[in-house]
Amino acid sequence: MGWGWGWRGYGRRVGEDELGNLADGLGERAARRQRGSALDEVDRRIIGVLARDGRAQSTTIGEELGLSGNLVANRIRAMDAAGLMRVVAVADYRLHGYKLLARIRLKVSGRPPVEVAEELAVREEVLSVHLTSGRFSVSCLHAFRTAREMVEAARLVSAGIAGVEDVDVELINTVYRYSPSVGPLGA
Amino acid sequence: MLAHDARLSFRKIAADLGVTEGTVRARVKRLQAGGLLKLTPIVDLSAAIPDGAGPDDAGQIMVFVTITCAKGRFDEVREGLMRMPLVRALFDANAAPRLVAVCMVATVSAAGGVVNQILALDGIREAESEIVLQTVKYNAAIGPIATLEDQA
Repeated sequence: MGWGWGWRGYGRRVGEDELGNLADGLGERAARRQRGSALDEVDRRIIGVLARDGRAQSTTIGEELGLSGNLVANRIRAMDAAGLMRVVAVADYRLHGYKLLARIRLKVSGRPPVEVAEELAVREEVLSVHLTSGRFSVSCLHAFRTAREMVEAARLVSAGIAGVEDVDVELINTVYRYSPSVGPLGA
Repeated sequence: MLAHDARLSFRKIAADLGVTEGTVRARVKRLQAGGLLKLTPIVDLSAAIPDGAGPDDAGQIMVFVTITCAKGRFDEVREGLMRMPLVRALFDANAAPRLVAVCMVATVSAAGGVVNQILALDGIREAESEIVLQTVKYNAAIGPIATLEDQA
């Protein structure tokens, strides 16, 4: 997976690896507080390895990057504790009993779009909801258990939600790429 | 359990579920091999923008680009999009010849840049871009995982 992280602006942190190797868990956390919430080059290299193998052992990651296993373990723990990075299991929608996926976009009138989005968000089969610029103000990814649900999607989606003026349903046939690497971890 | 923390030890999961560690290990392995489960790091939006991010850096601004391909040019356009690292997700909508590309960029000008890059691809008849203004729901734990790219 191509990460495309071309982080610049960290040139001053030469020797971070050596320093980091000396740091114990507490030292790591203090260093992170000083840096604020940002991830640094070492963090990003660790994340790069985790992207290939999410359960890679700290010592293995350390060997590959030329860092100590302790440093790697501390970094992962600190990123997780700060809510900056988490290794998660992403399960295919078919494992959850869904058969079909559709992108559904809505035009809203006479009502703040965010209210419509929030009403959609509470539905379990709505996997994500975004407010967007453009012709449609709400865009969501909707999963369906049966073809019949899908056929009735336009009606089901607007049912019981006020202010929906127009619904555009597009069935997703083939997914060519899906690599979430960034997301709201708190939400 | 793995949805929240994919690095939990198999021993702990097995103990909590009342099954053996071997069972947990085998199940996870089978799902991964079948392309139905992916253990992957997710970076929080708040940490996604580095200082001095360039136009090629992935970031927290999400852009949906809906592309209508010219007749007979679908495969060519799709291949062009797959070569772009900022295109984090790609799927068709209502089958061919429409494609939806989800791009993650760090700045608004980079969003313009990636849309221009897409428009420069040969074989595109029309492209509509939408910038995500607010994310109301996003569930990182479920998605269309079994993609053609992973199977390749």
